[in-house]
Amino acid sequence: MNTVHVGRIAVVAMSLAAVTMTPSTAAGQGGAFEPPRTTWGDPDLSGHYLPGPYQALETPANDGWAPPEGANLGQGAAFSRFFEPDPDAPAQPRASAPSGPMIIDPASGRVPLQPWATEQRNEIMARQNQLEHLDPRVRCLPAAFPRAHLPVGYNTYQIVQGPGYVLMLYEWNHHSRYIPLDASPHPDPAIKLGMGDSRGHWDGTTLVVDTTNFTDNTWPVGHGAPPDDAPGTALTTGHGIFHSGQLHVVERFTFVDADTIQYEATIEDPDVFTQPWTLRYNGLQRAPDDHMLFEYACHEGNGRNLSLLTGTDVEAARVHPIR
Amino acid sequence: MARGTSGLTSGQARRHAQPERDLELPQHAMTLTRSVKAWLAGALLCVVPGLAHAQTYDGPRTTAGHPDLSGIWQVLGSAAWDLEAHNAQDGIPAGLSVVDGGTIPYTPAAAARRETNRANRLTHDPVRKCFLPGVPRITSLPWPFQVVQTPDLMVMSYEYAHTVRLIYTDGSPHPLPNDFWMGDSRGHWADDTLVVDTTHFNGETWLDAAGNFHSNELHVVERYTPVTEYHIDYEVTLEDPQVYTRPWTMRLPIYKRMEPGLRLLDYDCVDHLLGALSQSEGGAQ
Repeated sequence: MNTVHVGRIAVVAMSLAAVTMTPSTAAGQGGAFEPPRTTWGDPDLSGHYLPGPYQALETPANDGWAPPEGANLGQGAAFSRFFEPDPDAPAQPRASAPSGPMIIDPASGRVPLQPWATEQRNEIMARQNQLEHLDPRVRCLPAAFPRAHLPVGYNTYQIVQGPGYVLMLYEWNHHSRYIPLDASPHPDPAIKLGMGDSRGHWDGTTLVVDTTNFTDNTWPVGHGAPPDDAPGTALTTGHGIFHSGQLHVVERFTFVDADTIQYEATIEDPDVFTQPWTLRYNGLQRAPDDHMLFEYACHEGNGRNLSLLTGTDVEAARVHPIR
Repeated sequence: MARGTSGLTSGQARRHAQPERDLELPQHAMTLTRSVKAWLAGALLCVVPGLAHAQTYDGPRTTAGHPDLSGIWQVLGSAAWDLEAHNAQDGIPAGLSVVDGGTIPYTPAAAARRETNRANRLTHDPVRKCFLPGVPRITSLPWPFQVVQTPDLMVMSYEYAHTVRLIYTDGSPHPLPNDFWMGDSRGHWADDTLVVDTTHFNGETWLDAAGNFHSNELHVVERYTPVTEYHIDYEVTLEDPQVYTRPWTMRLPIYKRMEPGLRLLDYDCVDHLLGALSQSEGGAQ
């Protein structure tokens, strides 16, 4: 990744440490806070935000899973360059972060994968040194949803609003989504987009966003990197959870206080999960006043890393510049 | 690394902002006759301080009186292949020069480098590696882009590689030194022209697919002047003492995309590049 961004991780981590963390409200209490309004009367979501504090996506499985004998996990210097925390960054303030899980439905707190999908996930996790099994994030493919709103150290948000739309900007890999609020329909199902197609509406003071039309080459769940105290193969991070392209995500953004937006996502993919499932956590924390989104040139600095990780000469590939 | 004229001030990066979008004029104004609209436009401009006499533009405006550039736009022509006059090749249309005076005023050393770039463009063009295209190349690429306009910020989102430019119109200066593929952009309105000042380039981008290039000292001033609600006169002045003997200007129109229900789609060239890996060595020619 771009060397500018190594420093950026430190900046973001320091900002997280500096921001006074409000105690997170218990799940289900969101929505009691009355947010300020824009001049045209919508709840005002605009501003800059940092990701919410890390908490485990799901309850640990405790099923004794371990990588298969002889599996090549891509461990070594290249692997650890991605997954080692920045040694200069202060630790995230864990004390005030809930321990999780984020998943509130099903009650087990586990991602309800179909059995074949769990097997496939284990296969992927055992072959992280192969380009086709590598986390698409590492290849600079889109995060999709809800992943773009799950906590990582290199993503921040800016929300821009106007009558009839909400525009969400993601520092991570310079993604953005323009969310019309005009009840317009999703496009032709043949149209596939890495971040999907989002349409929104207000439910009281909650912004509800419905997203479909995803490509199928992303891992839509999962933290950007495993937490410090979990190995890369831990299944509590959401790592290795794929989708079929039938992914359908409904998100709810609700202010719980002046500086905190609760993020809830219901995720559905009948080919991969046994049921729709829901996660919820305080996903957006208002950033300090001088925060700005920096350019995140993901792919530009990534060629050598990919080549080291996978042994493929990625840097030799060329595409047409224009038609 | 040399810096341009960026007016740096520490600690004065992006201000706290609660951008509210200016509202368009009420819709009933659009049903008035042309002469009444012209009178209204003139009357409004006269009472809003700081604006000059009425221009010819009679398209949508924000409540602050600026042209409203919100919408989806795209450039026509083949400047993306070559800014200078060029004849057709297989798959590449011919095009007149978009450069004032016809050719880019390179220093002798830079002119030689341009020829080397051109000879090696199939392997050396950064856009063939799916790298960010820089400014103003991102504008001339034949993919649409969307403008979202608020008082403090213009956001330009480009379909090509989901590139984003944040053009701060809140009066804030360029930040502390850093190198960006797309530079750092600060804009302001001068009458009906959006003037965008961009510096902090990393020198890694080209200006087109023909090897025209710049260094990290590049300083770009774009002027977006809407003429009607359907097209913008786009004028760009480039200055780079390492590469050009003087500042030079290019200009081309930007057209509004009119399809109802249009949204930006994906051109995720990183995905195409990885696809090219699996098909053949070195990918596409």
